[in-house]
Amino acid sequence: MTLDTAEDRSVAAGEYVLGTLSDTDRADFERALGGNAALRAEVAYWQDRLLSLTRHAPAVQPAPGGWARIESRLGPARLRAPTPWWQRLTLWRGLAGAGVAAAVLMGSLLMLRLQAPSPEERFVAVLQAPGGGGNGWLVEVSTRGAAGGTLRLVPVAGGQAVAVPTDRTLQFWTKAPGASGPSSLGLVPVGAVTELPASRLPALMPEQLFEITLEPAGGSPLGRPTGPVLFIGRAVKLSS
Amino acid sequence: MTPPAPLDYDAALLACARGERFALRVLYEREARWLLGVAQRIVRDTALAEEVLQEAFLQVWQRAATFDPALGSGRGWLYTVVRHQALKTVRSRRPEDALEPETLTAVSDALQASASHDRDLDADALEHCLDRLDAERRACVLHAFVDGYTHEQIALKLSTPLGTVKSWIRRSLVALKDCLA
Repeated sequence: MTLDTAEDRSVAAGEYVLGTLSDTDRADFERALGGNAALRAEVAYWQDRLLSLTRHAPAVQPAPGGWARIESRLGPARLRAPTPWWQRLTLWRGLAGAGVAAAVLMGSLLMLRLQAPSPEERFVAVLQAPGGGGNGWLVEVSTRGAAGGTLRLVPVAGGQAVAVPTDRTLQFWTKAPGASGPSSLGLVPVGAVTELPASRLPALMPEQLFEITLEPAGGSPLGRPTGPVLFIGRAVKLSS
Repeated sequence: MTPPAPLDYDAALLACARGERFALRVLYEREARWLLGVAQRIVRDTALAEEVLQEAFLQVWQRAATFDPALGSGRGWLYTVVRHQALKTVRSRRPEDALEPETLTAVSDALQASASHDRDLDADALEHCLDRLDAERRACVLHAFVDGYTHEQIALKLSTPLGTVKSWIRRSLVALKDCLA
C-alpha cells in the first residue's frame, strides 16, 4: 500500500472502509491516519458514500437485555470538561431525597452564590406529581452558552422510576403565562437527563409552567397533551 | 401518528463524548437492529454478531470524542465502528473458514436490498454509479462491504485471480469517486 498520490490515498481509505486491507496495511494505514487530516477526510468520505450499502443486510432484532449488558460495562462517564454546578446530579439527588421542593431550591440558590456573578438568567422548576405525590423532575434553564443556553430536565426521586407502559411515552411540555396552550419540548426517556437548547422554548419567564404527560408511543398525535399529567411545576427565576 | 423524528446521529455522538449515556442508548434503540443485521451478515452467527454489537457500542462510547462532524456523518462513523469490529472478529475467530468455498456458497448471496426509505438512506447516487461498473467489479465492492470478504475470499468466490480482484477493487473505487463527484 502506498499513500503517495491523491488516488493512492483515496483508494487506501476506500479499502480501509470496505475492510479489504491486509492486517499489515490496515495497521500502517491507521498509524498514518493519526497525523493526517486529509486521510481522515477520505475515510469519512467513503464511510458516507458507501453507507447506503448497509441496506443489503436485513435487520436482525437484538436479543432482549442487549442494552443492559452494554450499560453494565460502560463504567463511569468520562466527562471532558469541569462539570457546571447545575450538572452535579448527586447534589440534586441528595437534596431531592429529602423530598422537599424547597430544599432543592435552597440548594440551587446556595450553589449560585458560590459561582461568580454573571449576566445570564437562570430558572428552576421542580415538577411534582399532582396531588402531592412527591418530586419527580427538576427543570434547570441557564441562558448562558451557545444557542441561547441550555435546558436540562433531570429526574429526581420519583422521576427516576416512573412506570411507563411499553406503548406509552413521557412527553415534556411548557406553557408560559398568557400562552394559548402548551408547546411540546419532546419525548422524555425515563430515568435519564434530557438536555435541550434553551432556544427551543417558546418563552422563558417566571411562573412558566412545565409538565410531563403520559402519551401514546411516538408522542401526542394532536400536538397538545392528551394523557394524564404525571408531573407539573412552575419556574422560579433565580437571582444572582 | 407521525413517525419519530430523524435521529441526529452527530449530536448523539457528541453527547456520548460528553459522557451522556442516554445518547448512547438512543443510538442503540434506534439503530441496533440494522447494525446487528450488518454485523450478522459479516460474522454469519447470531451469538457472535450480538457480541460484536456489544463490543462496538463500548468502542463508540470510548471513542466518541474522536468523531469529527466536520469530516463526515455520525451515522457513517457508527457503521464503520460496527463493521470493523465484525471484520476483526470474523477474521480472528474463524480463520479456518476463510477460504472454504462451501461456507461462502452456503451464505447465499442473493443481494436483497431492503427498502432504504424507511431508514432515510440516500442510495440513489451510489446505486447509479455502481450500475455503471462491470458486473464483476460491482460484485467485488458488494462482497467486500456487505459480506466482509477479503481479497482472497472474493477471488475464490468469483473464480478470478487474486491480482485481478485487487485491481478491480482499486479501479472500482476510482471510478465510483469519479462518478460520485
